[in-house]
Amino acid sequence: MILETINLTKSFGLRKAVDNLSLEIPDGAVYGFLGPNGSGKSTTIRMMTALISPDEGEVIIQGKSVQANGNMALTEVGALIERADFHKHLSGETNLKMLARMDGTDMSRVQTVLDRTGLGARGKDKVKTYSQGMKQRLGIAQALLSDPKLLILDEPTNGLDPQGMKEVRDLICELASEGITIFISSHLLDEVQKICSHVAMISFGKLITSGNMEDLLKASDLLMTEVQVDDAEKALKLLSDIDWVHRCDAIDGILKVGIGMEKSSELVQLLVQNNIQVSAVIPKTSLEDLFISKLGKESQI
Amino acid sequence: MFGLIQNELLVIIGRWRSYIGFIGISILMPLILWGFVHGSNELHNDYARELGGTFMVVGNIFNSFLATYIIMNTLWIHIPFLITLAAGDSVAADGSNGIFRITLTRSVSRLKILVSKLLATYIYTAALLIFCAFWSLGVGSLVLGTGDLITIDNGILILDESQAWIRMALSFTLAILVMCTVATLCFMFSALVNNAVGPIIGTMFLIIISYMIMGIPLEFFEKIEPYLFVKYFNVWWDAFKDPIPWGEIGKKLVILGLYSAGFFGIAVNVFLKKDIKS
Repeated sequence: MILETINLTKSFGLRKAVDNLSLEIPDGAVYGFLGPNGSGKSTTIRMMTALISPDEGEVIIQGKSVQANGNMALTEVGALIERADFHKHLSGETNLKMLARMDGTDMSRVQTVLDRTGLGARGKDKVKTYSQGMKQRLGIAQALLSDPKLLILDEPTNGLDPQGMKEVRDLICELASEGITIFISSHLLDEVQKICSHVAMISFGKLITSGNMEDLLKASDLLMTEVQVDDAEKALKLLSDIDWVHRCDAIDGILKVGIGMEKSSELVQLLVQNNIQVSAVIPKTSLEDLFISKLGKESQI
Repeated sequence: MFGLIQNELLVIIGRWRSYIGFIGISILMPLILWGFVHGSNELHNDYARELGGTFMVVGNIFNSFLATYIIMNTLWIHIPFLITLAAGDSVAADGSNGIFRITLTRSVSRLKILVSKLLATYIYTAALLIFCAFWSLGVGSLVLGTGDLITIDNGILILDESQAWIRMALSFTLAILVMCTVATLCFMFSALVNNAVGPIIGTMFLIIISYMIMGIPLEFFEKIEPYLFVKYFNVWWDAFKDPIPWGEIGKKLVILGLYSAGFFGIAVNVFLKKDIKS
């Protein structure tokens, strides 16, 4: 494991922000970290990166305890915690050079990471002239500066437009393909599903579930199935009265049905018996479905 | 460590607030020097009248040394304020601007970062006083000329020109050390809070209150006077005594050094445990 949290606990006053949280992040994984607002995601990430001290438990990165070794445990870690903030009166390049000087990183890396994040041409401009998307990319650039083995990203696409989000997502996939382990918290379940190999969900500071994304989706109690039919309205009406159908929506003529794993053949049979032609059945449980089934419908990410 | 100090200096240089002190001195000093040029006869006559009973005054006793001596006596409330403008920002601004989320997640210890910030603040403090000296002694010498320095130390003390240069250099060096204590106090406040205004107000409040306490001639206040660090601010004045009281200077510097160590110790203690939540 490249990163582990062991019984991590942190309280702010009477409120327990993180409660006995244990996670194991395998080497090379893209690990999604999900939870509703105020569930303790940011506090956990800040404890991983030595910004906040836990009340109990510890964070182990590459075998080194962050609590025992302080920032020295972060030698091969790059982090972007929430919004990327820099000295606005200095250029992006100067900001990165300052950070390279702190790390003892070769100055040639500055241009490399600027180019990599698409800021090569704007490096000499002051940060105050950057758009939010550019600042966020500069944030990723600084995280990559020391050529890390582990990237910890807290809401890296916050405040970005769809194009910017796609760019960041592509960059993360590219970095993951190079073998960098990525631990990412995000509001966007769809985005996490697209890029993550593993996922953990927390609520009220407690771990709800964690593991390999595919395995979790397969093991989900609620199988979301997309069914292509000739008469979606009729099918919707029919299924709304069936007690083993937990959810049913029709979007663009395609039914999205929430059923138990064992009920898919029964579903097809039922539709056909009622003269509804079925042209395709695609089991497609989304992370959102898993999230709602685990945390309840009231959960708001 | 050198790289970290270089970083902090880059930040200080890049902030417009850092230049307020230099701009202020650049406006104030020429004005004072202009005033001295036009009022030098008046000042010379005042001095000559006071000394006339004992000495026969030949030539002009008013020169850049005397002007600097007078300026130094008047600026010791204002210079700390100018220093706090940079020192107050040093830690607090990084907290409020979210810079710590970037810098404190790197493989550099918080202690090193804090020490580099303090040293950069000291360099700024020294630069401000050297700039002050440049105007009063450097430009002042061109405008008012040089000569003997007449000061008062249990009577009249006349220092010849070569001695005056040495004493002025010593005095400014001591002044830098005094102002480093002010900078450390402000730095401590800067590590305690997340805004730059609080440290400025806190530091100036403490200095002004201490001066006020020292000015009240009551036994109770006289008893606590030795515990007020501003009591030792006048160490720069000792440079103009004859002979130079090295023992007294050393004692005052040790006391100021202990205060600085105490202020920095508090800053370290708070900063190393500080949770970065913003």
